[in-house]
Amino acid sequence: MNLDTSFIESRTWDDEIPERLPSLGTSAHGAILTEPLRGWNAFSATFRVMFVEEGRKSVEFAKKRQMVLFPLLLTLVTAISTIGLQFLVGDSAAQSSDLDNKTFTWQELRFALHLPLFMFSLGMGTFAFIGRDAIIRRTGSKNFLLAAPALQPLPNSMAHFAYFVKDLAFYVMLILTPIIAGMALGILLDGVAGIRTPLLWTSLPWTWLAMATTLGQGLALSFLASSLWLRGRPFTIIGPVGIVFLGIGVGLGWLPTELLLWGLVAQSTQNGLFIIGGLVFSVGLGFFASVLILDDFDVSVVERGDLLAPIYGRLSFLGNGEIRLIVAKEFVDLFRSGAIKKMTVSYAIPLLVLLGMAWLVDFADAPIPINLLSYAPFLGFFGFNFYSWLTILDSPDFMNGLPLKVPDLIRAKVVVYFLATSWISLIFIVLMAWRLDEWASLPTSIIVMFANSIYIVALTAFLMGLRPNKAIFDASIMIWFWIGTVLPLLGLFLLSFTQGDVSLYGNWWERASQDGLAATAQMYDDSMVQQGYLGMIIISILLLFASAVLWKMMDRRWGRAEFSN
Amino acid sequence: MAEDARPLVSAKDMAKKYGDFIALHPLNVEVHAGEFFGVFGPNGAGKSTFIKLLTGQLRPSKGQIEVLGVDAVRDPQKVKANIGIVPESESPPSFLTPAEFLEFVARLRGVDDMKAKVEHWLDWFGMQEKRDTMCKDLSKGQRQKVMLASAFIHRPKLLFLDEPFANLDPIYQRKCRQWLLDHVAEGGTIFLCSHVLEMAERMCNRMAIINDGKVLAAGTVTGLKNSPDETLEDVFIRLVGHSIEDVERFTEEGISDSEE
Repeated sequence: MNLDTSFIESRTWDDEIPERLPSLGTSAHGAILTEPLRGWNAFSATFRVMFVEEGRKSVEFAKKRQMVLFPLLLTLVTAISTIGLQFLVGDSAAQSSDLDNKTFTWQELRFALHLPLFMFSLGMGTFAFIGRDAIIRRTGSKNFLLAAPALQPLPNSMAHFAYFVKDLAFYVMLILTPIIAGMALGILLDGVAGIRTPLLWTSLPWTWLAMATTLGQGLALSFLASSLWLRGRPFTIIGPVGIVFLGIGVGLGWLPTELLLWGLVAQSTQNGLFIIGGLVFSVGLGFFASVLILDDFDVSVVERGDLLAPIYGRLSFLGNGEIRLIVAKEFVDLFRSGAIKKMTVSYAIPLLVLLGMAWLVDFADAPIPINLLSYAPFLGFFGFNFYSWLTILDSPDFMNGLPLKVPDLIRAKVVVYFLATSWISLIFIVLMAWRLDEWASLPTSIIVMFANSIYIVALTAFLMGLRPNKAIFDASIMIWFWIGTVLPLLGLFLLSFTQGDVSLYGNWWERASQDGLAATAQMYDDSMVQQGYLGMIIISILLLFASAVLWKMMDRRWGRAEFSN
Repeated sequence: MAEDARPLVSAKDMAKKYGDFIALHPLNVEVHAGEFFGVFGPNGAGKSTFIKLLTGQLRPSKGQIEVLGVDAVRDPQKVKANIGIVPESESPPSFLTPAEFLEFVARLRGVDDMKAKVEHWLDWFGMQEKRDTMCKDLSKGQRQKVMLASAFIHRPKLLFLDEPFANLDPIYQRKCRQWLLDHVAEGGTIFLCSHVLEMAERMCNRMAIINDGKVLAAGTVTGLKNSPDETLEDVFIRLVGHSIEDVERFTEEGISDSEE
């Protein structure tokens, strides 16, 4: 071996392995080596640029005008809601108005504020998956700071922690602050032209901090779940099972709701210690989740047998057009990336929680007549996350050079969504029919469920194309999405009450139309059941028709777009 | 052992396997200070895996790696803090500008007089006009300039370059080539991976040819040739298991097929 010049030799893999030496005896030749940044220094250097990156990513899709409109829209909607509070809780002081004769208590309203925020943050916080995708795609056309640790002296865990804090700060700025501004606007308008609101100025800082706690908690929990998932077994089994039991436990009241929503406790008690504790614990949980992230930049080189041709063969029912080919390619992506597992689990978890609750609760005690048909419309909502994941599985940029159009790819993703999830939804609704002993309404429930499912994903795909995750900050898209989903869903949900246990609830719907949520059942009218049933069928047919129209209109909206996610 | 005789880069029994696929068979390598060492091979030969293992981007399936006296398996962050890396086909972060990215890298690497260094390298690569353009909107060549600048900005003693001139125009290829040669002349060390043999002839004082994850031959550029008439391309084709005649016949068949 010549020590003065370079030396290189190799041998075959199976040759005898030499024993490990304590050191190979390399030298820095007198240079003083630089220590990599750690702790706060590494965090601050990364956080700032990540924040800039996030802003630009959002602006790129939503355009500046819509990005400004989004918080303004939130402010406006919240201001209107703040004024409307007097009709929901009465016009007495916010902190002492849990009046028995009003529809909602303040605690119920707080719950209605924190729960959706918590669900939203759970959906947005899978940072370990996002980081892994960034590493895998760093040689693609787009690269993100989350992949920087592969080349730079920055621990992967620190990059992920900075990303978590960045997202928390970004959502506080873009979502929570406009909501608080809307509440402030509502209070400012108090007394103007007879407008009144029971909300007090002193509530605002508490609400803001409490919502930040809930948001941080959801992001941190989701982050932790994704970090554990990437650690492989047994976490890939323990995690989902634990979440299902936790969800069922809280849903049934076995576990206090406070355990699930720390921000709600903080706001209800208005105790500074809870606020500080909740925030610190959320950030601490996020830090713990980031510590679980390894400096692993391996992108496996794996040889596989042909999967495309067999899948393509099985999709003959899709005809011979481009859609069939793209659907086959998307399924190959799903299987090869392993995403099919985590996507199926995440789609099934909320359904399992609902099923578990239905198994253990006698809904005769429920305040509203929930029945099989009440569940059916909501399955479509879980499709939003599934579709979002489908859009980030692979970079579609290579399709720009192929004789394909963006609408072809969007349609293919809708088909993939339907094929990949419809069996889960079907099993769920059948099990639910069995549990509730409502076999008679099963066929209608299946129609309602599929109509909604197809419609919501078609609407998502039509409005948001290949970038649903970015579209949530586009005010105009969100307005259309809200109108397009909430109105028909609410209609179906309310109509479903006409099909419940009518012997118990009687003419609930009729009474509810007269007295709102303060209605009480008095007599039973058979014609309401028939009208309700007919109404649901008509809405479902209309949704299917709307889906077909959206399907056709994809070309007009996305026909000239370029393939990019 | 005298301090200067010890290598800057050393790997013993370093290997990488993905499932049953062997990306790099076990190899021993040493690179000494002041060398311009090149690893050449056809596409998929294992060159990028080689460089990623040495720079702590990948964990070896077995073996030991030391770079600048640091165990690259145990402390890859410290290795990365003291070397420069230009990866193959990786872009700077899409939504940062070149100036922002260079500042980010300089800050992470604790570069003194950060702003001045960023300006210097933007000037050097002729990127001042594009300094505020997001990297996603740059051409591939411009992105490569940003990646090169990010590897040079802290003037590391040791540089690892994987196809460094990909997409660069001839002017900047020449400019970079000269800078790298000057860097080595001043005591720097360079480990290069490429399939462009011209780089070996113009820059490397020692080289290795690898294929299918194995080192086929190593030595000086002239030492690898069987005769003075043999070109490096001939050496390459011979070593990776083809005969010159086969390659020429294949080329001719290809042309006649396309003419038909």
